[in-house]
Amino acid sequence: MEKQALAGIKVVDFGWAIAGALVGKHLGDHGAQVVRVESMTRPDLGRADQTVSTTSTTNPNDNPMFTHLNTSKYSMALNLKHPRAREVVDRLSRWADVVNANFTPGTLSKLGFGYEYIRGIKPDIIMAEGSAYGQTGPLARQWGLDGTGAALSGYLHLTGWPDRGPVAPNVPYGDVVLPCFTAMAIVAALDYRRRTGKGQYIDAGMIEVCIHQTTPALLDWEANRHLQTRNGNRIAYAAPHGVFPCQGDDRWCAIGVFTDDEWEAFCHAIGDPPWTKEPRFATLNSRKENEDALEELVAEWTKQHSAEEVMQIMQAAGVPAGVAQTMQDLLEHAPQLKEREFLVPLKHPVIGVFGHPTPPYKLLKTKAQVRTSPCLGEHTEYVCTQLLGMSDEEFVELSQQGVLR
Amino acid sequence: MADSLLGGFRALDLTDEKGFVCGKILAALGVEVINIEKPGGDPARGIPPFLHNTPHPEESLYWFAFNTDKRSITLNLEMSQGQDLFRKLVEKADFVLESFAPGYMDSLGLGYEALRQVDPRFIMTSITPFGQKGPYAQYKGSELTVSAMGGVLLTTGYPDRPPVREGPDSIYFHAGVAAALGTVIAHYHREITGEGQQVDVSLQEVAASRTFNNLVIWEFGKRLLKRSGGVRRIGARSTRWIWQCKDGYIFWTLMPGKFGAPANRALSKWIDEDGLENPLNKVTNWDEFHPAAISREELDTYQEAIAKFFMNHTKKELVEEGLTRGINVAPVDCPADVIESHQLKARDYWVDLEHPESGITLSYPKHFFLSNQTENFVKRRAPLIGEYNEDIYVKELGLSSTEIAALKKASVI
Repeated sequence: MEKQALAGIKVVDFGWAIAGALVGKHLGDHGAQVVRVESMTRPDLGRADQTVSTTSTTNPNDNPMFTHLNTSKYSMALNLKHPRAREVVDRLSRWADVVNANFTPGTLSKLGFGYEYIRGIKPDIIMAEGSAYGQTGPLARQWGLDGTGAALSGYLHLTGWPDRGPVAPNVPYGDVVLPCFTAMAIVAALDYRRRTGKGQYIDAGMIEVCIHQTTPALLDWEANRHLQTRNGNRIAYAAPHGVFPCQGDDRWCAIGVFTDDEWEAFCHAIGDPPWTKEPRFATLNSRKENEDALEELVAEWTKQHSAEEVMQIMQAAGVPAGVAQTMQDLLEHAPQLKEREFLVPLKHPVIGVFGHPTPPYKLLKTKAQVRTSPCLGEHTEYVCTQLLGMSDEEFVELSQQGVLR
Repeated sequence: MADSLLGGFRALDLTDEKGFVCGKILAALGVEVINIEKPGGDPARGIPPFLHNTPHPEESLYWFAFNTDKRSITLNLEMSQGQDLFRKLVEKADFVLESFAPGYMDSLGLGYEALRQVDPRFIMTSITPFGQKGPYAQYKGSELTVSAMGGVLLTTGYPDRPPVREGPDSIYFHAGVAAALGTVIAHYHREITGEGQQVDVSLQEVAASRTFNNLVIWEFGKRLLKRSGGVRRIGARSTRWIWQCKDGYIFWTLMPGKFGAPANRALSKWIDEDGLENPLNKVTNWDEFHPAAISREELDTYQEAIAKFFMNHTKKELVEEGLTRGINVAPVDCPADVIESHQLKARDYWVDLEHPESGITLSYPKHFFLSNQTENFVKRRAPLIGEYNEDIYVKELGLSSTEIAALKKASVI
């Protein structure tokens, strides 16, 4: 096997649900040894999730979504509330370079396993905790979800149509972006430790991360007292800029015309119909002023084609355009994603062979090597006896006492 | 002052708006990021909004937002003298960030393989709509079109309207974060082994990386999740996420099991106290409640009752009293609300940056995350066009004023 970028890095991973689980995935996919610590007594939301499965929705090991989020990890079962859990946590802390967690702030400290405790055992530990609001401040102890970050960052306020309430995509945002930051901070901290010998504690909050994307709107309010709001698909510096209906059921193609050259290319691509020569569409400003009429005329043309044809015609002319793809499209008709191995087929012991996601950023020399996700507690014995150096007797005793479940 | 995580390293940033965020993050982590603009300035300086609502290349608030802490020099990469200067800069740099169409840098003799000869340790991070290789590699892309191709767009909006974009440039932002992550992982490897490499980021794939729940619902359940307004599907049942209240909107949702029980129980109690009809009372044990374990109709009656209750109250009441009752209501905040947040102020989240040329000081988000050991803060306003030409070309590369004048005359810088 080729050498991976993070080979040799040891991670104790308490990260759960989506935002916590993905941190370990980023690290594990690049070669870090990630031990996911979890428990039968309080299963991960991802394992408890009953969306789809191949055999039984209540089987914690039969969950394709959990698998998507937890590749390239070992799973160790440990009941953190058991009085003897401390012995195991101590061993894990001594072993680890990194501890990752995203329990509601205060939870780990309450269990006696907060940063101060772990640092006492391993002075140069790098510990990262993700949360909704951050670890400090009046709201720190509140738990939050993906939607919490979306609502409190201004992102939801800005998403939707001017005449209706805000909408959220049916996919997460902060839950996926936050772990990118947490993982990045961890790896940068590893490099910092290499140079200085010092560990550190990272406190990453979803709201704070999500706000950055809305900075232009924040500055617009501060500087101009202009309060931005929902504006559908329109943006100030492109027209047409929208999502247009195509042949078929709920098929759409997104098109964006930014420059004069693109406008000319767009007109030519749709056959230079007379309306494109009208003065009301001659400049970006005039197109913005007549955008309703413009969008209707564009839609009349797109409706005569399939979404794929529209995209290809536009792209051949050098105009940004893209089909609003379904999940079926992503899985079955996406040659570009396939080229990038967006999903690699791997065999999961319960689910069988199916596509597992690779990181969307590709290190071209030290490629990500994705392994399937573990069953709950699959590696408990391996971790205890091989990685942590427990004797067989100690392992058996802890198992029998219900610590390792 | 405390250290930052990546102080002492340098990046050359050639990106346009698709890739600004990567360099912004690295700069906050202490990397010296040199933004290389075309003579006359990056066309992205034309992106609105503008200070005083008047288009001006030095007053784009979009540019301000995503180029903090960078230094700017001007350089024409399409001229051979410009390419020579760029190679000299690469010798002293640890990272090159770029978002040109794949192949463009190669055509200038400045592609990854060519620059590797100059410095085998350097890392090139490339952020493009579809990635460096493959059938769509030359396709153009924008925030909206990559959201479409990545499967996010179709899930956003109302069923009776076209799919609608996320308001901010959310995928550009996410891709910038993913690119920074890939860059830092490559950096870690480089510092240990001496081996640099290229990091290839696809905006489409970044968008698609958010669709895991929807993907498995199609793959294993043959159901396609569509756009559904303020209703979200995560888990086995769609539940409402965005609710209207008396004076605005809030985020709240029915969560299952022990995790959701305290909030669900408290909300049900509050509905009772308001004297409203309360079908939630049918739930005998919230610890075992699961929205997927009851019928769709039953869930609808719960959600209708909750909707009526929320309409009875203002955002402020729901948030403040909700907090004391443990209900976890999050207000849908507008930018003006975000700036006033007590939570953010308590975390010292804002930094005032002066723009002396424009006679204004603006508050910016200061950090992406906090550390007890390092300070990784936004510290300096975005640069003016070529603001650091003198520092880099004269003080560092040692060019004379005659040479500078000649380069300017030839439109190289």
